[in-house]
This record gives sequence, C-alpha cells and structure tokens, in this order.
Amino acid sequence: MVDKDKSEGGMDQMFEIWEKGQDAFFKAQAEAMETFNKSFENMPDFSNKMKMDGAFPSWDGFIKTWVPDWDPNIFSNQSGEFANQFTKSGNSFLALLEPANWTKYAPEQLRVILQSIADGPKFADLATPQHEAAETWRETLDYTRAASDMGKVMQDAWIRTYGRFNKDHSIEDFKASDPESAMAGWLSAANHELLETQRSQEYMDAQRRMIRSSTEIKARQKDLAEAWSEMYQMPTRTEVDDLIKTVHELRRELRKVKREVASLKALK
Amino acid sequence: MMPLQRDKDGNPINDLALAQEAWMLTWQQMLNAGERMVKSNGFLGKVKNEDVAIAETPSEVVFEIDKVRLSRYKPLTKVRTDIPPMIICYGLFGRQTMIDLQEDRSLVRNLLMEGIDLYVVDWGNPTRADQFLNFDDYVERYLGSCVEHVYEASGNKPVNVFGICEGGTFASMLAALKPELFAALALAITPIDFHGDQENFWQGEGFLNSWIGNLTKDDIDLVIDTHGMLSGEMTGAIFSSLTPIASMTKYNIGLAKMEGNEPMMLNFLRMEKWIADRPDHPGEAARQWLNDLYRENLLVKGEFELCGEKLDLKNITCPVLNIYAEQDHIIPVSCSKALSKFVPKKNYEEIGFPGGHVGVFVSRKAQGVVAGGLVNWLQEKQGKSKVQAKKQTSKKA
Repeated sequence: MVDKDKSEGGMDQMFEIWEKGQDAFFKAQAEAMETFNKSFENMPDFSNKMKMDGAFPSWDGFIKTWVPDWDPNIFSNQSGEFANQFTKSGNSFLALLEPANWTKYAPEQLRVILQSIADGPKFADLATPQHEAAETWRETLDYTRAASDMGKVMQDAWIRTYGRFNKDHSIEDFKASDPESAMAGWLSAANHELLETQRSQEYMDAQRRMIRSSTEIKARQKDLAEAWSEMYQMPTRTEVDDLIKTVHELRRELRKVKREVASLKALK
Repeated sequence: MMPLQRDKDGNPINDLALAQEAWMLTWQQMLNAGERMVKSNGFLGKVKNEDVAIAETPSEVVFEIDKVRLSRYKPLTKVRTDIPPMIICYGLFGRQTMIDLQEDRSLVRNLLMEGIDLYVVDWGNPTRADQFLNFDDYVERYLGSCVEHVYEASGNKPVNVFGICEGGTFASMLAALKPELFAALALAITPIDFHGDQENFWQGEGFLNSWIGNLTKDDIDLVIDTHGMLSGEMTGAIFSSLTPIASMTKYNIGLAKMEGNEPMMLNFLRMEKWIADRPDHPGEAARQWLNDLYRENLLVKGEFELCGEKLDLKNITCPVLNIYAEQDHIIPVSCSKALSKFVPKKNYEEIGFPGGHVGVFVSRKAQGVVAGGLVNWLQEKQGKSKVQAKKQTSKKA
C-alpha cells in the first residue's frame, strides 16, 4: 500500500538529491558541457552563468529534437503566467524538474512527450540527466493518475454503499430511536460493497497501477541514491547486493561440497 | 463533526455526500457510547506493553542455522506417548508465536499436555542481507536441517512435521523431496493449488489469489528488484485490506464494544502484538511464492523446481492430515484440499474447522478441535500405548 504523504516527502528529498547531483555533475563535466553547448548553440549554459534570454527557445528546440509535435502554447494558454515564468526565471532548468509547475496543465500531452523523450535515442555523453528527468516526471504523472483512478473506484464504492444502505435505512435512522441498528446497517452495507469492489476488475487494475507507479518512483529514488553514493565514494546498494549474492552463492556451493564429501566418506 | 454537504434547500447533494454523512454519524454513534469507550480507554491507559505477553511456554534452542532456530519445548506433564517428535513449521508472513498466543489459547501447550515431544521452527528476522534466500534454502537447507537434527536426535527415526500456512507448503515440499524423514505430515490452512476453485469462491474468499493473479510477472519482479524484500508492512496492509470494515473499526467501534473488559482487551492486545510483529519476507523466496506459485501455480502442475529438480507431490508417502478453515478468507478451502489429489486415499485425512484463517489457532472453540484432532489422528496412525487425547485440551501448566 502506498502512503501518499510519505511518497510526497520522498519526492521532495528526491528532487533535492537530484538538484545536488546536477550541480556536482555539471561542475565535474565541464568538457562535456562545452560539447553540449557546441551541439546546441542556443541552449542555455547550465552552469552558474545562465544565459536566460535564450533559455526557453533553446529548451523548446531541444524538446522538438525528440518530439516534433511539441506545442508549448498549451501550457501558456492554460497557465497564463507559466511560459513567462519559465522564460524569465533565474532558475529555469530547475523549474523544469518541478512537476508541480507542469502536471496540472496538460497531463496527457505531457506524459506522451515525456515518454517520447525517455524512449528516444540516448547519447553516451549528452543529455542523460534530461532523459532521466523525463522518466522521473512520467513516473510521477503515472502515480498521480493511478492515485486519482483509485480514488474514483473507491468513491464509486461509497456511493454504492449508500445506495445499499438506503434500501433498508436512511440517514435519519441515525438520529432516531435505534441508531445502533442504523450503524450496524451502515457497516454491513459498507462491508458488502467494499468486498464486492475488491473483486472487481476495475479495482484490481487500479491497485496494480498504484503498485506499479509507486514502485517505479521508489526505483528512481534508488537510482538517485546510488548516484549520490557514487559521488561521495560510498558503496552503492547494488554493490552491497552483489556482494551478498556472491556470499550466498558461495555458501550454497560450500554446502553442496560438504554433502558430497559426507556421502563419499559414507561409501568408504 | 464534518459539516453536511447540502444544496440550497438543505437536501444532501449526492450519494457520496450521504455516504460521508453516514460515516460521520457512525463515528458519532460510537462516541455516544462514550461510557463504554471511556472504560476501554481507561484500561489502555493502565496497561503496559510488557503486560501483554505472548509465547511464554518455556523452551530452549537446540539447533541453529544462520538466523533459523529450532526450539524444543519443555514437558508440561508426565504423560508420554509413543508418538514420534513433532516439528511445527510456520510461514514467513507472520511469526510462529501465534501458536502460543496465551496460556488458554495455545496449540503448543495443548500438544505438550498430550505428552508430545514438541519442536518449533523460528525463521528469525530476515533482512536485506537475506534477500537471495529462496525455496531451496527454506525447504531443503533450513527446514530440512531442522528435521534432520530431530531425526538424528531420535535415533534416525522419522519424525512428524506440522506445517502451517506457507510453512505447510514448505513442509509438503520437503515431504516430497525427502520422504524418508517423515513419519507423518500434518498441515493447517496450507495452499497447495494456488488458483483454487475460483468460480465458486464466496464473497471475500480468494481475493488474494485474484489480486496476485492480476499482477504481471514484470510487476512482481519490479517490486522485488526495487525493495529487495517483501516488507512486513506491505504484506500487513494487504492482509488488513482483506477485511476492510473490520480493519477500519477495530480501534474505535471494536474497542468500545469491549467496554474495558480486561480478558477481552488483553486477548485483543495479544493479537495486535502478534500482527505488529510481521517480518519482512526474503525477496527471492517471495518472487517464487508470488510468480511461480500464486501466478503460475507450478506446484500442482509438477513444474515447481526445488534444488534443481521438478518437485512431484506424489512422492509424499507418509500419512497426511490436512486441516482447513471453512471461512478462511486468505487461503481458500479448495486451495488446501487440492493435496488430496496427490496423496493415496488410505494415507489422507481432512478436518474442516468452522472458522477463519487465524481462528483455527486462536479462537476458544478451536483449542480442542485442532490439537485434539491432531493428537487423535497421530495416536491412530502411530500410537502403541494409547494416551487418551481430550477434546477440550486447553489447560494450564
């Protein structure tokens, strides 16, 4: 089950780690950034010397490299200040990483765009953070949508619950002389409808999408934590897991050898 | 109280608003029974965690392998039987303390009072360092080593194994893999056919089977690969969702209904303590449990691999007693009874218990049925000098 508050807190931490990771990455990859700038002459300088005047057109062009149909007007039309803020902001690249700035305006179109970026060709030394940002963003959108779908399924269940309760009772029964009977009727109706809802394909699909999307976010957090560990010369989770697996397999082999030795001794 | 959502004429605006109102009134009704709630709250204010003791029957650890410990219980009576020693093996989704919850609701005590030489497996607390443990480890290496230890301690004589829930699946697999170690196999609430008779599930039955069946292999792999383990927190939440209203009302309406009754409150708190102590399930074993068993149902197809070989349940040669719960909302009856297809009729018996999954062990009426039925069956199959097993076996030491 997903704890929404925890997930949201996790997202804050994730983006904080991401931001720090970006800083370190750009500082460490000065040469790569030069190549990057030569390849996209109008792109902003993502170091501290940001060229803000050209930020939006460059970013727009960058996106269109993967998504020819990209239309930023959908955001400006619906958000009013959004494109303006994006262009003038002193922190435009980080604004791109903040889903709250985007998701509410055109989630479906945005998801298609993000998926397209994420699925696009990858360069060895270029734009990896953008790919990852697109995937992270798409995963966040999926989770938001899954949570919304789940909420709708449960809302419908409660509406049906009232319908069932209303066959034999009414809200007024709670205030009448036998409120305990009304309460029992309500709980019985709720139990019946919730169990029926759980059996429905709609519910199970919604749960599946919740599990899938929340786990994808968790997996992304794991990737970011690994990047952080590498940055500070610490062992990553994957490296520790690899070691555990090696020890586990060695122990299994040792047990097998011990058994073979014992059976050979028994034969003598 | 939440304000009612009404239109300008004062009428509730829709069924959802009415549903919210009904809940609010339900809570209010509960608060109206304030005196009862105050009594329960008063008791909760006085009781300490240490007062809520479970699994207190004395035992000593006689064998250890990694985090797994095998404990032998100290006799509670001078009565002795000719029945071979019994090893109880619980699953990994909960803890074995459930079979010794309290003095008058304890399978362990009931069996000891019948003179059974009793051992219980404790799987310990698996951590992420144990994530690669799989069924080979749990069935052959861990349970197998425990059974071999008792087998050798008994002068190389076969022993009885009683597997519960997932532990029953482990025990069945070991009985098929190493039948020479088994004098008899007893099972309770054990899944064998993980699909069951889905068309005839009653409301609330088999949700877990359908729910896991709706996940793809890729979904499950993603969860296991990401988390390494199947967390106890997650499995606990899933189990709670199987009984939605009971889970929503146990800390409010449920507590109020107890009116501070001390024995009832302590029973409730002991169960809560057991539920809260839910270990993480090692990832690789969980992957097999969910993908190979729940989704693919490989065990009954004869395609489940253990230690590199396909496991055939028809290799079980010892007598089998299969105890199932007729109102089990976690393991459908048809999932348990499927074992009858693999064991010769002369070796197979069943006891249907009229209760739920955990009720088989913790309800008051279950105390005689499970332990009594088990001991009677063992006496019939193995006893030379008969010891009368009693129907009501809940006793104090």
